[in-house]
Amino acid sequence: MFDAIVVGSGMSGGWAAKELTERGLKTLVIERGRHVEHRVDYKDSLMPWQLPMAGAVPEGEVERDYPVQSKGGSMSTATQQFWVKDSEHPYSYPPDKPFYWIRGYHLGGRSIMWGRQSYRLSELDFSANAKDGHGSDWPIRYSDIAPWYDHVERFAGISGSAENLEQLPDGQFLPAMALTPAELDFKKKVEDKFSGRRVIPGRCAHLTTSRKQDAELGRAPCQYRALCDRGCAFGAYFSSLSATLPAAKRTGNLTVVTDSIAHSVIYDPKTKRATGVRVIDANTKQGKTYHAKVVFLCASTIPTAQILLNSVSAALPNGLANRSDAVGRYLMDHNMASVIAFYPGFEDLYHRGRRPNGFYIPRYRNVSEPAKFLRGFGFQGLVMRVNWQLQSKFQPGIGAALKAKLRKPGPWLLLLAGFGEMLPNPGNRVTLHPTRKDRWGLPIVHIDCGRGDNERQMMEQVVEDATAMAAAAGARVLLANKGDGSVGLGIHEMGTAHMGRDPAKSVLNQYGQAHDVPNLFISDGAAMASSGAQNPSLTYMALSARAAHYAVEFLRSGVI
Amino acid sequence: MTENYEQNMDPTHITLMMTRRALLRDALLMVGGVATALPIDLWANSNSTPRFFDEAEFALLDEICEIIIPQTDTPGARGAGVPAALDSLIRDWASAEHQREFGVLLKEFDAKAIAAGGKALLQLSPQQRIDVIAAYDAEHFSKPPYSILKNLVLRLYYSSEIGATQELRYEHVPGAWEPAIKVTPETRAWASPGPI
Repeated sequence: MFDAIVVGSGMSGGWAAKELTERGLKTLVIERGRHVEHRVDYKDSLMPWQLPMAGAVPEGEVERDYPVQSKGGSMSTATQQFWVKDSEHPYSYPPDKPFYWIRGYHLGGRSIMWGRQSYRLSELDFSANAKDGHGSDWPIRYSDIAPWYDHVERFAGISGSAENLEQLPDGQFLPAMALTPAELDFKKKVEDKFSGRRVIPGRCAHLTTSRKQDAELGRAPCQYRALCDRGCAFGAYFSSLSATLPAAKRTGNLTVVTDSIAHSVIYDPKTKRATGVRVIDANTKQGKTYHAKVVFLCASTIPTAQILLNSVSAALPNGLANRSDAVGRYLMDHNMASVIAFYPGFEDLYHRGRRPNGFYIPRYRNVSEPAKFLRGFGFQGLVMRVNWQLQSKFQPGIGAALKAKLRKPGPWLLLLAGFGEMLPNPGNRVTLHPTRKDRWGLPIVHIDCGRGDNERQMMEQVVEDATAMAAAAGARVLLANKGDGSVGLGIHEMGTAHMGRDPAKSVLNQYGQAHDVPNLFISDGAAMASSGAQNPSLTYMALSARAAHYAVEFLRSGVI
Repeated sequence: MTENYEQNMDPTHITLMMTRRALLRDALLMVGGVATALPIDLWANSNSTPRFFDEAEFALLDEICEIIIPQTDTPGARGAGVPAALDSLIRDWASAEHQREFGVLLKEFDAKAIAAGGKALLQLSPQQRIDVIAAYDAEHFSKPPYSILKNLVLRLYYSSEIGATQELRYEHVPGAWEPAIKVTPETRAWASPGPI
């Protein structure tokens, strides 16, 4: 018997575990994937010439085992270990609505694989549903979560600059990573021409200075290697493995089991409480149960819904905490579109080191500028000099002349990648497949999620605005891409067990506590009532820490 | 994070870059000696018998690699072990379809050589060989399968130890981010740490 069970060890589960154990709760973390040993299992020490296959995963293997995961953007033989094999973990979607589901099943989850961009949602985001009527009104406002953003930023270490923007609140920042001269030029030209648009240093979960609290956990400042996708032996970027799980472990209150796939939550209809979690051993396929006073689901957005929907009983034929029928619904992601352009000038300057970050343009549509659509988008971007990889792509050339050209730094390249909010839509939905099961006998998920007119119009505007900003800076557009209309590749799934005020329409209350099951908490992306345009991990961290705080309060006061 | 390289490069995935070995060793020692080497399978084969192509095909591939990246004041593709590494890569990485296409492509180089000079490529003079490949490159640099083969030659060269550290510059652990350094006549582009 534990005090608490946390299902999932990624971004959210790590935080829940840290906060619960630090408050004295004997906590069990259940991870479906294998153990990953921080540092030891990373391939970040390999030189370019040491990478198997020069880094390239064999084409036949990609086609057989990673047809979806390989779309995620950064698979190589140095990172391959972190992606699931699609062949082993099937799911389905309607043929005309592809949903690309990018996953990592291992201790630490996607906190090892993430892009590390860290932004707060604002009052604008928390009031968006109430304002335009899409989705459920968030039961919290910015002021409710602001202290928890402070709390998680102080521990995780977020590099950034204070900008005093209403739509992108400042946080507890470590020093920002400097912009390149071409980025500073772009900033000036954009801000001069477009009132209300700002180009600011990206905010990322990297240590940019030495702090005692980080050293105590074995974390060192960023070395500017940009090998983050392989896992960082310096622990310079925030992950469950570098930060939250070690913090939880040192309390003496943490137990972790890996290779344990959550099957369902055990529910007692008499007390209307969750009493534990059923798991399947990933290797032996044997079932096992764990019991606790409180259960946190942090399995990530889609699996959290899957576990709830699979927690059926005579009393709950539609699954657990699903009186509203909202479990699995309102699935959201961020849609993306991008522009790449050659940036003129600055031939006499170059950069040294590999900054794992870029700039950010906070949302301005429906903030300082009108739009034909609801909500808005932000841009991630950079202006840096390319090397042989892109320089050789667009022009012919061989021999000594080619070699001489590629020896020198290439032109400056501007990248603008827009991330657009998706409206919460009950029709975008995860269900259990009626017949297909995985190798552990669990029903696979069916994901029916597509873009609507609002999303399509927004992506048109992303490309139009990016092109206009490139033009304002005199940059020559090389490629513009509105994406293929699919969903999932933002890798920001959220919304399938959302927070709301009305128990008849939403799954969780203002504490992340299930309306129907008082000792069940959900604090991963599933909890999100709307998506904002900002990268969501920082919000999952804050929601997790906040939910853990209240769970402990309620336990101590005897409410649950 | 998405579909192809051009389409959606997450800023954090554009890596333009490089190393000082001493710094690397010190840094790795600091964090607990994680410099465990994996088998360097691709380059280990550099001086042995080709494994995918036959002798004649390999001789042609070897010459084409060196024509694309020749020896200058630094070693070329041949000196960096690219032809054997490429042969291994085609065997172990390429799909059956690409393997077949690369085989056809080699024959096409010979066909172009015969059309231009009446002989197979390796029978032509060194300058004639360069002219044949240059003409082919001008027409096909962005068309598969040639574009793929050329990219593999470049990738293998610039990620080889010679290509990354003698021709370009590479720092595995830069240790700092300097957004603006002065370009001098000696400045070299940074090699990339990996394929992404």
